Amino acid sequence: MICRVAESCFWVARYIERVDTLARLLTVNNGFQLDVRASQAEVWRPIVIVAGQEEEFLASLGASAIDDGEAVQEYLTWDREHPSSIYASLRWARENARTVREVMSVETWESINETWLWLTSRAARRLYLRERGAFYDRLSKECMLFHGVCYSTMLHEDPYVFMKLGRAVERVGQTARILDVKHHSLGDGPGEDDPAETAQWLAVLRSHCAVDAFFQRGASPLTGPAIAGFLLFDRAFPRAVLHNLDRARGLLSRLVRDDPPGLARPSWERLERLRGSLLQMDAAFVQELGLHRVLTRIVDDTASLCDAIHLDYLDPPVETLLRGARHLRAVRPAAALQTA
Amino acid sequence: MRSVPDRRPLFEGYEPLPGSFDEFVDAQGRPHESVSGVVQRLDELGRAEFKRRKKLADATFLRGGVTFSTYSGDTATERIFPFDLIPRVIAAREWQRVESGLRQRIQALNLFLSDVYGAQRILEEGIVPRSLVESSTGYRKAMRGVRPPGGVYIHIAGIDLIRDATGEFVVLEDNVRTPSGVSYVLENRDMMKRVFPSVFRECSVAPVELYPTVLREAMGDVAPRDEGDAQRVLLTPGPFNSAYFEHSFLARRIGCELVQGSDLFVDSDRVYAKTTHGLRAVDVIYRRVDDEFLDPEVFREDSLVGVPGLVRAYAAGNVALVNAIGNGIADDKAIYPWVPEMIRFYLSEDPILPQVPTHQCAREQDLRYVLEHLEELVVKAVNEAGGYGMLMGPTASRKQRAEFSERIRVQPRNYIAQPRIELSGSPTWTRGGVQPRRVDLRPFVVTGKRSWVLPGGLTRVALVKGSYVVNSSQGGGSKDTWVVGGGGAA
Repeated sequence: MICRVAESCFWVARYIERVDTLARLLTVNNGFQLDVRASQAEVWRPIVIVAGQEEEFLASLGASAIDDGEAVQEYLTWDREHPSSIYASLRWARENARTVREVMSVETWESINETWLWLTSRAARRLYLRERGAFYDRLSKECMLFHGVCYSTMLHEDPYVFMKLGRAVERVGQTARILDVKHHSLGDGPGEDDPAETAQWLAVLRSHCAVDAFFQRGASPLTGPAIAGFLLFDRAFPRAVLHNLDRARGLLSRLVRDDPPGLARPSWERLERLRGSLLQMDAAFVQELGLHRVLTRIVDDTASLCDAIHLDYLDPPVETLLRGARHLRAVRPAAALQTA
Repeated sequence: MRSVPDRRPLFEGYEPLPGSFDEFVDAQGRPHESVSGVVQRLDELGRAEFKRRKKLADATFLRGGVTFSTYSGDTATERIFPFDLIPRVIAAREWQRVESGLRQRIQALNLFLSDVYGAQRILEEGIVPRSLVESSTGYRKAMRGVRPPGGVYIHIAGIDLIRDATGEFVVLEDNVRTPSGVSYVLENRDMMKRVFPSVFRECSVAPVELYPTVLREAMGDVAPRDEGDAQRVLLTPGPFNSAYFEHSFLARRIGCELVQGSDLFVDSDRVYAKTTHGLRAVDVIYRRVDDEFLDPEVFREDSLVGVPGLVRAYAAGNVALVNAIGNGIADDKAIYPWVPEMIRFYLSEDPILPQVPTHQCAREQDLRYVLEHLEELVVKAVNEAGGYGMLMGPTASRKQRAEFSERIRVQPRNYIAQPRIELSGSPTWTRGGVQPRRVDLRPFVVTGKRSWVLPGGLTRVALVKGSYVVNSSQGGGSKDTWVVGGGGAA
């Protein structure tokens, strides 16, 4: 498929994932306030840090606002200027989808367009003001609906593969970042018996929709190391880091399969390296090394994996293209003719 | 308390425009024979039901993103393109004549292009003035001697027709570069089927859905290489172009890739698409980028939406462009007055479709006449489209007329003038019930190995009361166009 189109597909999925993550994070945080008697600062600052927005937030709203839950939610949900608010992410998801709707199904496009029309409607703002939980819940569900619609209505070919790839790498990064919330709010101490800390770990699980999945694993105590281990290494849990690296590997191998023989893909090598290093770790090892250090490494390696995907597939330099094979005829028939 | 639903018939109190042909009723106020079936069925729905269905249609367009953005401050609002649910109806018998007239016209225009970029017989014989052709901004001298694959220049044409006061179809304007609007024909039809399934079923309307298939085949017909299935792409200026929706829609329906200039790459006079698995050769490009932006090596250097080297590949015969480069000479408004002569010259036939009498200001006596009769005439700049660069003499202010006559005096070649034709009126839903609004018609002709005419076309309607301007950029909307009575319903 056309590189630029693949790039947009990749980003549609990443932006949708950001909307979903932020919506869950904010809704869990609202609930979390009820669990413990933490000061507002301890509750909200980490979210802003995880969104990568601390500097911008302080610059535009001032130091006192970061302790103000309403200000933080308003900023992370509605701010039009900063690129990772829910509003901006959804806008970019939709704008990318609009640009490449010729490779999506009508249903996929309508699902994303309807979510956008809803978010920008008065009804959405009203719901946000009156029933915060229901508002974020609806957003999360719309994101899940989007994935389901893609799965059920699109050809499972390149455009779909790049969307799934975008989702997988975004989830790796987001899961690592959310785990890091814990680091930013409580530090790396063990503190197993501290009810406030237990509540916070529970919140981390909740923001991954992982509460049931975690307890279904049995035996695991509700402690930091156990939860971090689960979210990093459980290959069956759809938001766990390793699960998504497995997914990414499956998707990249589909792409490599259609490559001319002998073509080296740096993205493949980087993924294998990152995945290999995680396969050699376990919860105890993470404990020893320090969770924050491991997470930072995952976040950095994922970023460089994304760079490699860009150079390999999404925006390759002309020299690379010229070195590659030339197909005088289509590899396979172009997008199937839709019946009118 | 609920109000009683408004069951009044839709057309109750309908008053046609004075002095114009009305698409639905004759001078006595009785429906034309061909439309009576449609009128009756719409009438029976009643106003409340009609309104309900209109809401449904609007919501569907909005959800589907059949919209354009308007900006005020930093907020963008999505608006749907204005669409009127009352169809414009044309009798199949009448349509047949229009169809053969269109084929004839396209054939002649194509022969003209082939001649102008070849032997130039028509110029040698003085039938069309050479100076007029060579001074046209649409004339691409560099294309002289380049014969497009299959000799086809005009693969897609949109010919604007109007009905004069007697009801006769008259050619107003030719569009043979990159005519737009066909996506609305297809979307409108889709919507009408959803909203009025029963009316539709009972009226035996000629189908329009074949368009993408025919276009796909025509693109295959002109592919330079015969082996395998041709690689087709649609080249768009990009998502910020106001017609992007249409480009995306057509790419989907044709089943080809939608590309921007930066997605294509020319090497050794071959065009390639940059794909995730390397370079892939391209055979046919349906381009929605104007000539002058197509290739910065040959035309405008500052073009960011073009493909460097594309013209070389085209001249080498390695890629087909739909439409060909240089077609602007054939739909130049200054050349339009000579089209009937072209038909006689190339085909030895009389024109089937009449056209509007036109004064060409480049001619001394025409110029004098135009300047003396500005208040009766419609003046058009020859290089403008979309209803811009126009003076509606009868309604313009004294000051506007003075400004225009100055402009005409400075560059007479750039202006033509025509009497104002009383465009036909067609019943249209307004806040005040159903009222007549002026309409035109843009039928589409697709040509590969043979020509195919889409039954009907895009009916554009001037939604503003009293207006003659149907362009969407200036308060125009659209209607579905039904060719009925030919048997063979969709």
